[in-house]
Amino acid sequence: MKAAAFEYLKPQDVPGAVKALAGSAGDAKPLGGGQSLGPMLNLRLARPKLLVDVSRLEAMRTIEDKGAFWRIGGAVTHSAIEDANLAGCTVMSDVARNIAYRTIRNRGTIGGSLAHADPAADWPLALPALAATIVIAGPAGERSVPAGKFMKGAFATELAEDELVVAVEVPKLSPGARWGYWKFCRKTGEFPEASAAMLMDPERKLARLWVGALDGAPQSLDALAADIAMRGTQAVSETSVSAALDLAVPGQEPVSRRLHVTAVRRAVQKGFN
Amino acid sequence: MQPISLTVNGEKVQAHAEPRTHLGDFLREDQRLTGTHLGCEHGVCGACTVLIDGAPARSCIAFAVACEGREIRTIEGFGEDAVMGQLRIAFNREHALQCGFCTPGMLIAARDLVLRLPDADEQRVRVEMSGNLCRCTGYRGIVRAILSVLELRRAGNDPAIEVKPAQAVPEFKPFEASAPAVAAAGPAVALAAVQKAAGTVIEDEFTVDHPLAKVWEIFGDMPAVAACLPGAEVSEHTPTSLKGKVSTKFGPMKASFAGAAALERDESAKRGAIKGNGTDSLSGSRARGDISYQLFDAGNGRTRVAVAIDYSLQGPLAQFSRGGLVREFVKKMVADFAANLNARLGAPAGAAPAVAPVMTISAGSVLWSWLKKLFGSNS
Repeated sequence: MKAAAFEYLKPQDVPGAVKALAGSAGDAKPLGGGQSLGPMLNLRLARPKLLVDVSRLEAMRTIEDKGAFWRIGGAVTHSAIEDANLAGCTVMSDVARNIAYRTIRNRGTIGGSLAHADPAADWPLALPALAATIVIAGPAGERSVPAGKFMKGAFATELAEDELVVAVEVPKLSPGARWGYWKFCRKTGEFPEASAAMLMDPERKLARLWVGALDGAPQSLDALAADIAMRGTQAVSETSVSAALDLAVPGQEPVSRRLHVTAVRRAVQKGFN
Repeated sequence: MQPISLTVNGEKVQAHAEPRTHLGDFLREDQRLTGTHLGCEHGVCGACTVLIDGAPARSCIAFAVACEGREIRTIEGFGEDAVMGQLRIAFNREHALQCGFCTPGMLIAARDLVLRLPDADEQRVRVEMSGNLCRCTGYRGIVRAILSVLELRRAGNDPAIEVKPAQAVPEFKPFEASAPAVAAAGPAVALAAVQKAAGTVIEDEFTVDHPLAKVWEIFGDMPAVAACLPGAEVSEHTPTSLKGKVSTKFGPMKASFAGAAALERDESAKRGAIKGNGTDSLSGSRARGDISYQLFDAGNGRTRVAVAIDYSLQGPLAQFSRGGLVREFVKKMVADFAANLNARLGAPAGAAPAVAPVMTISAGSVLWSWLKKLFGSNS
């Protein structure tokens, strides 16, 4: 339960962090709050030679109102988001509040969670549903990726070894928007067995429905989302959700399928209540 | 060793610590503050909770060197704290501890709750305290104690609890959604995984654009098979056995299983098996896995390959098991293997196909088996 030896580096700024990562040939890991990496290090499942601590980089620790969207730094903790109640994005607080436990949220970061890319984590599901954008820094500067394209599979993302999630940009919801989120956890705070998120924003003509806690990256149910936009909760039934999941997540075991169908229905229900 | 300076219970501390020393060990071993208890040491039980800059955190998954300049407060640092005083009395009165091992973490988490959520009801208290485990299962007393302190403080502080008026949500107006700019990365896995007494079985299949005889031949050529599996190395082999290594990377985890496998081939049924086991010397984890395959003529000079992978895992890596993540991994692996096999069969003699430097498998299902179990079953 003690981590194997590693070196620890606290860079001064984002370019310094990128340089340190680039210079270590894949044997370095960025360290955010360490709430996922820490256990893996202690169990010696992960043995990087170098940890590059990005949790203190000022450029990654701010939450800024950019008018149409909020820019949240990659090193902002879940509890900072939980307590922030961002105007137009209060749903971010609701998502944050239900991540693991407060002790975890006090250290775990939004960028770290995205980069770690656990299929059952909350941000990799919520951010695509909110049509957010992930801002990545690397040797060539910054680039942006739609949240729905960021995660490639279990623990696999768009990030190269020398890239960091420096920020996420979350568009503000219109006043008439509906947001619903549901997850099934065996125990409060544990990773869910099934999860789902829905956004219906009539002013922005935006209809999103995503399922998470799959074997790989979260998946979108676009046709069903468009149908919900037209017909509201009438579009949602055991049959319609099952059919949508058949396309997006084929071959699920019956128990998982049952949980995911129910998670989707409850997410929609919550959005319209 | 790296120099660190931080504040512990109000006192400046200058010390040295190895980067891998976690804060809990630093406090207990270096500072001799043994009130912080270490339970699971991987961020699950909450016994080691301390305050870092006023916010509760798990000291077993915070590294001491990462706490440079921080203010740490352990259970020893609450002697004069009024809220902690109230909690101590309440814990005592409500019999909120039995063996007491979880108590330091419980008290620090409870104090944070009381200060942060003054109107918490029982449900909220239970949810907020769910990250602290009591192996004596004495939760009723703990919850009662915290509720009584909340009550006491509400009565004493005359807080005039602010009730937010419920905001009216405008009526939903149906709309035609614009097409999403982003499609997801592709449908997730369609693999069956069956739990058996011995291990877990994953089944998959793929088709290659080459005739059955040719595919059958290459399945008997272990170095060629290994070359199609990124990360696999065969060090020695006979027609019925092989030795080798499978290295892989999965997120932040890397492992390298060295081992041996027995090979079986049934010419008439076009069926074969690779039965192997191996050990990851770094973690000391052991894996066993049987890969069986069967080839079918798919017509038009194509061959369908059905694969079943039966594996089990023991040791440290087995502790970290969850969900069907391994299925996703195996799917990717099988797809890579199929693509490489196709490329190899299509390549002119002597030309080595490009193998994606992603992951590895070979020495007989070791890796497959390892990974499957690693993340298979139970959160």
